[in-house]
Amino acid sequence: MLLLGAVALAACGGDSDDGADGSDSEDVAGATADAEFEVYALLPQGNDQPYGTTYLPPMEAKAAELGLNLTITNSQYDADKQASECEVAVAAEPDLIILWPAVGDTVRPCLEAANDAGIPVTVTNSDVNPEDKDLTAAYSGPDTYGQGVASAEIFCDLAAGEDVGIIMVNGLTGNSTAIDREAGFEDTVNEQCPNVEILARQPGNWNKDDSQLAASEMITAVGAENIGGVYAADDTMVAGVIDALKARDIDPADLIVTSIGNTFLGNPLVLSGELDGTVFQSSSWDGENAATTAHEVLTGGADGDRVVKFMPSVKVTTDNAESPDVAPEW
Amino acid sequence: MTAALELGSGESGDNLLARVRTVLGRRTEGRAVALLAVVAVVTAFLEPVVFTSYPVTLGRIALIGLVALGLTAVILMGELDLSVASTLAVSGVVMASIESLPLGIVAALLVGLMIGAANAFFVVAVGINSFIATLGMLFFLRGSAFVLSNEEPVRLANRDAGIAFGKPFLGPLTPRMLLFIGAFIALQVFVTRVRVGREFYAVGGNREAAYDAGIPVTRRIVTGFMISGFVAAMAGVINTLERTAADPTAGSTVLLASFAAAIVGGVLLTGGRGSIFGTLLGATSLGILQVALTLSGVQVDVQNIVIGLVLLLAVITDPNSVRGVVGSVRSLLQGRSRA
Repeated sequence: MLLLGAVALAACGGDSDDGADGSDSEDVAGATADAEFEVYALLPQGNDQPYGTTYLPPMEAKAAELGLNLTITNSQYDADKQASECEVAVAAEPDLIILWPAVGDTVRPCLEAANDAGIPVTVTNSDVNPEDKDLTAAYSGPDTYGQGVASAEIFCDLAAGEDVGIIMVNGLTGNSTAIDREAGFEDTVNEQCPNVEILARQPGNWNKDDSQLAASEMITAVGAENIGGVYAADDTMVAGVIDALKARDIDPADLIVTSIGNTFLGNPLVLSGELDGTVFQSSSWDGENAATTAHEVLTGGADGDRVVKFMPSVKVTTDNAESPDVAPEW
Repeated sequence: MTAALELGSGESGDNLLARVRTVLGRRTEGRAVALLAVVAVVTAFLEPVVFTSYPVTLGRIALIGLVALGLTAVILMGELDLSVASTLAVSGVVMASIESLPLGIVAALLVGLMIGAANAFFVVAVGINSFIATLGMLFFLRGSAFVLSNEEPVRLANRDAGIAFGKPFLGPLTPRMLLFIGAFIALQVFVTRVRVGREFYAVGGNREAAYDAGIPVTRRIVTGFMISGFVAAMAGVINTLERTAADPTAGSTVLLASFAAAIVGGVLLTGGRGSIFGTLLGATSLGILQVALTLSGVQVDVQNIVIGLVLLLAVITDPNSVRGVVGSVRSLLQGRSRA
């Protein structure tokens, strides 16, 4: 009875201007008063992660500038929660949905629902699977596979044909970015420096503590004397690996260590020589281009073709670590 | 004569009032009804889309509530099952790993039953506290899900069947909602109309007395855990079908949401008091709240604060807690007046 009453009330309220189009949603971006488009951004992280913290402000600023009224969700990498948020977004009938997939393999029903409702979807940060791309209008973000490739290229250059045994610390299991980076690194190593052998691999869950623990276990398992290098899927995790190495009295500078990110944590490690190379990922580029790409699709600037904007995968070593072009952002 | 009649009607009125008070006093859903009323009315004014797009809201309620319904069967007996989210993940992976869809579903549900039986074995046969036993099972199953899935999402062989499963089946109701309603009716009837189910309350209320009364406590606990495992596996099957893939990390937010739904619904964590209907009310309140907050663009951190406050409100307004606080304040005041 309570719910029936509420539905009746809702039906009355639904007739007003601020009804089903969700236009009464909190103006997250603080958009300008003449906002032209309602946009839902379904993200798997926000201010609860370092990357999300520096991704959101440029995205919100650019959205406000372009007249996008953003409603942002954070599924905390729970695919079921993101699917439910997608249902809510489709029901609110926005002009466009920006999707950062929590788990790439599970987003097709969401894309189909948006497609059926005539709502265009643009993808940010981690692209969807190839067979799902035709349901999306655009992708902007890092070339996650290419980042793994770039990290491996630094590694292969430094290995210079020598036999090197390495341990690998990957991102959160099942996460598409983690999978792509791992594949990019491994494929490139197999192709360009087959003398590099992956002795052990474990997930570090994108955080320093888990990574330190994983690295410590792998050092014990394969033997410190057999390890000539380390690959970690991001700078936060490589910092954990370096701490694990130091705890075993192993000087990281004696090993080949590569990573991805060039963050506030990774950049000083490059300068100190403990991290040989990393790949710059700009969270501000990512956030800003999510809004720009959405606007481009909404205003018809995409000519009907799927827009793809890859963030440049710039290699960062001691040679360019102090350059303002690769100043860390997160 | 008239006076006698008036007296008689007055007595019967008092009796009726007393009976109503007794019945209401036994119910545990009062706070859940009050909360639902507040949430529903406020949401209807601020975010009417929550109700005009009711299939979405029903879907969220079913997502939160299904696992909570099974969990309630265990909590009623004063036990806990922390492994439900991992059961959901591993059963989904088992299902997606088998090419034949019907066979996969059957295998996943059997896995759920077996996990429930294993939990019960550790609790009743080995004598481990259910918190510890199911915590161990939580880690074991999560690890198993990663190993079985090769640490990657496992896609369904028949993705089209999965996508079709997520579409409305009966009016606006999707199979998930229908299965949720079916599970609610089955469990509600079981714990209120079937002797075995009613005995869950006796086991949770006073286990020694239940033993003395000849209730097979061990068997009841086994049944409760198997129900919880089966329902969690069913949620895993539904999630895997709707997402067209099994994610080994699935269910990361399910455990706390399920407990929250049961607690908000008036289910006592120490057992003996509560109801399946209360859990339904709790899941409905939380579902409406979550959809409204999502539509409002409220950050997940703030959503967690709101849900945490609702949970605290549900706990501190429990009549036992209120009586305890009143008693403490009274003794404090009496102590001061004596001094």
